[in-house]
Amino acid sequence: MALIDVQDLIKRFDGKEVLKGVTMSLSEGQSKVVMGASGCGKSTLLKCLNLLVSPTSGRIIFKGEDITRPDMDIHRLRQDIGFVFQHFALYTHLTVEENITLGLRKIKKMKTAAAREKAAFELERVGMIEHRNKYPAHLSGGQKQRAAIVRALAMDPAVLFLDEPTSALDPQMSREVVTVINKLYLDNITMLCVTHDPFLAKYISDSIVFMHEGVVVAEDVAERLFYEHEDPRVRQFYLSVIDHR
Amino acid sequence: MILMDAFVQDLIHYSPQILAGLKNTLLLMAIMSVTGIAGGIGLFYLSLAQNRFLRRGTERFISFFIGTPLLVHLFLMYYGLPPLGIRLSAFAVAVIGFTINVSAYNARYLMTAYNGLDKTQIEAARAQGFRFFQIFRLIILPQALRLSVPSLTNQVIQNLKDTSVAFLIQYPDFFAQMQEIASTNFQFFKTYVAAGLVYLALVSVIVAAARRLERKVALPGLETLGRA
Repeated sequence: MALIDVQDLIKRFDGKEVLKGVTMSLSEGQSKVVMGASGCGKSTLLKCLNLLVSPTSGRIIFKGEDITRPDMDIHRLRQDIGFVFQHFALYTHLTVEENITLGLRKIKKMKTAAAREKAAFELERVGMIEHRNKYPAHLSGGQKQRAAIVRALAMDPAVLFLDEPTSALDPQMSREVVTVINKLYLDNITMLCVTHDPFLAKYISDSIVFMHEGVVVAEDVAERLFYEHEDPRVRQFYLSVIDHR
Repeated sequence: MILMDAFVQDLIHYSPQILAGLKNTLLLMAIMSVTGIAGGIGLFYLSLAQNRFLRRGTERFISFFIGTPLLVHLFLMYYGLPPLGIRLSAFAVAVIGFTINVSAYNARYLMTAYNGLDKTQIEAARAQGFRFFQIFRLIILPQALRLSVPSLTNQVIQNLKDTSVAFLIQYPDFFAQMQEIASTNFQFFKTYVAAGLVYLALVSVIVAAARRLERKVALPGLETLGRA
């Protein structure tokens, strides 16, 4: 059974239809990337899946439960979905460690010592342990994003959502972050990632969902989608983002 | 010289009265500074409420109290309410009037600071599963308060100076006492200069404490803004 099953999802903003009937699924242990041109609705899709944005219609089944029903406990749902943002979104007034332990203490109700231990374990995994007492303002972009990934992972979510995790980074920092996400991929963490970055997509995905103007038009493994796909919209996109020489 | 001596003698003579006034002034300032912060935080919370009517109602409340003179509120309560059967002491009127007024200003300062916050933090907190009150208490308020320290401490200075308005509703504050001395010895110039110097000394103490506080609580990465 799929962990997430999206059926005919539609989202309109002030009459403008951004998602026009998206259907897709994600199984446990699977990692998928959603790609497509800017404005195709991929970030909106991600935000609909944890109800940061309310879908207009359609169904989202998460762990066998229809989360679009009106009486859904959205706080409980969100605790089960880790979310990493393009611009890191770390809490400015808290250190790296406090950023991680805040959710553990206040949502998971862990004791401070246990939360700190968990944070230390996760920071060690991504090579950030020596930065745990620093504030976000004193970190590089790559370090901030790694801290944000740890903050999401520490909550032990069923799935990790990543919204353009490398877009705000320079190539070197981007590589740092790709390495971390690739490690999660190899550890079979369930992930759904929205990105423009074919390099990231290739190294962290079992398959890539390609969206165009609010609908899913293709789904395939990176190699076939990047170089051999028959759909002209897909070919056109990858011609523009991948150096084919 | 003889005049100065007479004036100093007057001050010494009236010192119990002056000190009592000073005590009343500092008491009123301390109370309204605390209640004003608490009220400001309450109004700030309501102005972020998810309920649209609550949000608009709060915004109008704040605009009303910022847009009308404090003296009008004090007179309204002190002289306007007794004919309606509600009689409040000068102290109660001062505390209530100043609290509402200061709360409205403080809420505006906090809202301004909030507008400068990186809102992706709030989205991240929602995505993590925090409830709105938790987001307010753990993410928004600590940052808004720290960013507002210069405005909030300026408001405390303003509070101290504004206490002198309370003598118009018969509250025996420091200025009321000085006024009384001036009308007794007719040394208006010297008495008011002395009053001004006392206010200046008190403000200087608050300013020094405020600058220390600003440096201590500046948000990491924004420290230089605090000193500019």
